[in-house]
Amino acid sequence: MKKNLVGWMPRVAAMVAAILASSLVVQNIYAQGGGIQIERSFPAIESGEWTGARLPDGQPDVQGHWSNTIANHNNFTDPQGGIPNDPNPRPADGGPRDARAPSRVSDPADGQVPLQPWALEKVKEFQVGFHNPTKPEYIEPLARCAPAGVPKSLYWHGYEISQYPGYVLFQFNSGTRIIHLDGKPHLPDNIKLWNGDSRGHWEGNTLVVDVANHNGKALFGRSGEFISENGKIQERYIFNSDKSRYNYVATITDPTVYTRPFTITIPARRYTEKDTPNGWHFEVEPATHAGSELILEHYERICAENNGGFGITAAQK
Amino acid sequence: MKDNFLNNPIRFLSLGKFTVSVNFLLVAVFMLSACQKDPEKVVSATAAAVVEVPRLANGKPDFSGIWEATSAADYDLEPHSNRKDAPPGAGIIEGKFIPYLPEALEQRKKNFEQRASLDPAQKGYTLGVPRGIYYPEPFQIFQREKDLILVHQFGHSVRTIHTNNTDHPKDPYDWWLGDSRAKWEGDTLVVDVKHFNGKTWLDRSGNYHSDTLHVIEQWTYLDKNTIEYKATLEDPKVYSRPWSLSVLLHRHREKDFQLIEDYRFTLEYDEHYPPKPPVQQ
Repeated sequence: MKKNLVGWMPRVAAMVAAILASSLVVQNIYAQGGGIQIERSFPAIESGEWTGARLPDGQPDVQGHWSNTIANHNNFTDPQGGIPNDPNPRPADGGPRDARAPSRVSDPADGQVPLQPWALEKVKEFQVGFHNPTKPEYIEPLARCAPAGVPKSLYWHGYEISQYPGYVLFQFNSGTRIIHLDGKPHLPDNIKLWNGDSRGHWEGNTLVVDVANHNGKALFGRSGEFISENGKIQERYIFNSDKSRYNYVATITDPTVYTRPFTITIPARRYTEKDTPNGWHFEVEPATHAGSELILEHYERICAENNGGFGITAAQK
Repeated sequence: MKDNFLNNPIRFLSLGKFTVSVNFLLVAVFMLSACQKDPEKVVSATAAAVVEVPRLANGKPDFSGIWEATSAADYDLEPHSNRKDAPPGAGIIEGKFIPYLPEALEQRKKNFEQRASLDPAQKGYTLGVPRGIYYPEPFQIFQREKDLILVHQFGHSVRTIHTNNTDHPKDPYDWWLGDSRAKWEGDTLVVDVKHFNGKTWLDRSGNYHSDTLHVIEQWTYLDKNTIEYKATLEDPKVYSRPWSLSVLLHRHREKDFQLIEDYRFTLEYDEHYPPKPPVQQ
């Protein structure tokens, strides 16, 4: 018998409900290393030589399943602090700021996105409107199954990286990014895309990617920070040579929205057959086959509202 | 760029043991016996007889690349005259017409009448299998020994075809693109696809299927830039017998050609993002 199609939203809702149910549950999840929020801090990884395995075309082999280690997209600058202005905050989100993971903004030192006054005003407006969306722009677009975009895709569920001569492919839970390694020019500037247009190359252990052609629509999370269609992102994916972790360090520039360029850092770890699958970081199922080897594979990722469902309420307003 | 040894005749010959297929040997033996009087001709004639196609390290055809059908199949799989929303077409079906069950044929007629509003593609929904293959937008194949990942420009939908001897899940969901498990039969990739939902159409004229659709695809290189794609569809709820269609897929070779993400289901709300700066006076 076929199972009913259960998208990711019901699972996330169930997870959130479970977390809200009691702080004891939250503590247990943390103790087991499960849940979405695993780390309060994370190691730096220096850019340098790659001493790990390589693919036949010479690229460092970083293929596999990956996920961020600190939090989802609830809050960009206080990742474990919960959704700003949440009327029902989670117990774990309280306490002193330094008990939680640092801001994803690693420069400037205050951890805040250097927004121009008009943009700061819009972000604050979103942070109120999000909880009672009376205007379409208060719906976080991911809730309508829009692609999570750059950089939000990197802290929205686990994802898979695969590599091919000339390409690095990211299959995210909501959206897909093709990184071109062949040096072709960016698309014409007036073409704007949810995931932008990516050109990359390897420098030792670091995948360096230039992202242009943003449409600026994806937002950075439920805290509402954003980039405009004039923004550029310079990404550095810095892998450790045992292929267990990488840090994403990106410089974001946009004279329309920010007062200065700023840098964000997002830690990630790899998941393998040794890890237990879970509905957030490692959404895989064991494959059916004659052998005894464990083969884990991910199923089709097509957000339900892409084809009807979650978010319809907002659409009907 | 990919180092394709088959494009280099010297390396090809030096790697003969690794790359020579059964067909190649048969052709070579035939040519040798037929041309013994003129040995010099053997080499050139034999080389010309080989279909040189890109191959993976394991010797299997490598379909990596960006592909698109030039067929008008998506307008209507069946033979049809021109009409306001479609050019004429001779169809791509073996036997010309889909063998619908009587009540299914009625449904197909209703679909046709309301095609402008009911076609799932008009809403930007994932196209499904096989429609995504002949829909007039490119798709890219990323291939490894263990799988082929198809990224369709339309909706940026991703389909994985597994080539690692795994079978369909024992406890499946219903998927937009089904579950694809493939085997190699010589140089033809044979893909078994099932566990579909019933929400996709086969073209914009209302040809359709149900969630009991089962597709068997055959992917074969005709030459290094052309794939012959065949699909056999069976669906006991909708068709009276299995039927087949075929199209040719052409490799995009334009300079700097690439997929451009086409998440068109976001178009109805994307004007609301991002926040806009105050209008400059």
